[in-house]
Amino acid sequence: MPISYAWIFHKRFKMLKQKCLQAIWQCSALIVLASLLAFSINYLRNERLHLFGNWTPEARLMDSSGKRLDISLPEAKKLFLQQSVVFIDARPQDDYEKGHIKRALCLPWNEVDRNFMRVTEDISPDTPIITYCAGETCELSHNLAIFLLDMGFSNVRILINGWALWKEEDLPIESGSSTAGQG
Amino acid sequence: MERRRSSHRIRQFDCRTRLIRVEYFQWAPLEGPTEKMDKKRNNLSRFLYYGSRWILGGVFIYASYDKILHPAAFSKIIYNYQILPDGLINLTALVLPMLELIMGIFFWVGFWMPGTVILSNILLVSYIGALILNLARGLDINCGCFSTSSGSSINVETILWDAAFLALSVYLTVAVFGSENSRVLKQIHG
Repeated sequence: MPISYAWIFHKRFKMLKQKCLQAIWQCSALIVLASLLAFSINYLRNERLHLFGNWTPEARLMDSSGKRLDISLPEAKKLFLQQSVVFIDARPQDDYEKGHIKRALCLPWNEVDRNFMRVTEDISPDTPIITYCAGETCELSHNLAIFLLDMGFSNVRILINGWALWKEEDLPIESGSSTAGQG
Repeated sequence: MERRRSSHRIRQFDCRTRLIRVEYFQWAPLEGPTEKMDKKRNNLSRFLYYGSRWILGGVFIYASYDKILHPAAFSKIIYNYQILPDGLINLTALVLPMLELIMGIFFWVGFWMPGTVILSNILLVSYIGALILNLARGLDINCGCFSTSSGSSINVETILWDAAFLALSVYLTVAVFGSENSRVLKQIHG
C-alpha cells in the first residue's frame, strides 16, 4: 500500500502531541516533587526559612534586637558636619579610590577579614559609624554594619545608596586612597 | 540500513519428484558506504546526546548544592535581582535549588527526559533574561549562579555561560522530541 505524506504528517503530529502532553505532566510533577522535598527539608532544618518572608525595608534593616540600622541623608549630613561620625566605605577599593565621601575610611566587604583590625584600630567602640555603598540594593554596607556590630561597635548605622545620594546633594567628596584603609 | 523484507519464500514445483520445494531466504542487511556513514553519524549523535545530558546534569547538581545548604543567603540574592514579588522570594529560594538537583539527577539517569529538558530550557531562558535585565539596569549584584557567597558579580561572561548551557539544552530538546521522526519512519518501513 503506498504511504501518503498526509499519513506520515498525521502520524508525526500525533506522536509529537503525545510527547508534549507527556512533557507538561512531567514538568508539573517535577515542580510538585521539588516543592515537597524542599519544604520537608526546610521543616527539618534547625534554622528554618519562613515560606513567606518579610522583605520590607524596615524588616531588612533591623539588627537582631529589632533596632533599625538605616539612617536618613539629612541626619548623616548633620553628623558629618559636626565631625562626630566615622564614615566607612564598603565598596571595593577601586571604587573607593575613584571617589568617596570626604574623610571616609575604606573597608571593602570582600576583604574585611584582612583589613578590619588596621582600619578600626583608632575607632572607639561607642563612636558613631555610618557604612555606605552604591545602589539601593547594595548589600555590602548592610553586611559590614552587621559585622561591625558583632565585633563590638555599638553605634553603627547604614546610609542606603549612600554614595549616589551624597553626590546628588553635592556634599563633600574626595578621591584617591586613604591612609587607614590601604590594603 | 535497508531491509526490504525480513524473509523471502520461494516455491518450486519439481515435475520429476512431483514435490513442491519451498526455500526460505533471510535477507542480509546491506552494508555499503552510505550505511557506514549512517553508523558514524549515529555514534556521533549518541555521543553528543549523552555528553550534553551529563554536562547539564553536572551543572544543575553543582549549582544546587550551595543554595540548598544556604537558603537564607540565596533568598537575599533573589531579592537583589528585584524581579519576583516579595511573597515568592523565599518560596523560590527553597524550591528552585531542589528542582535543579532533581533535574540534574534526571539528566544523569535519563528519567522523564521530555519534562526535564523543557523545564531546563525554561529555567535557563529565565536566568539569561534576569541577568540581561539587571545588567541593563546597571545593578552590581551577586550572581548566585553556582554559589551564594559574594564575589561572583553578574557580567557578560555569566550570560555567555548560561547561553552555552541553553544551547546544550535546546540540542537535547531536539534530540528527545525529534526521536519521534525515526520512530515513525521505523513504523513505515518495518
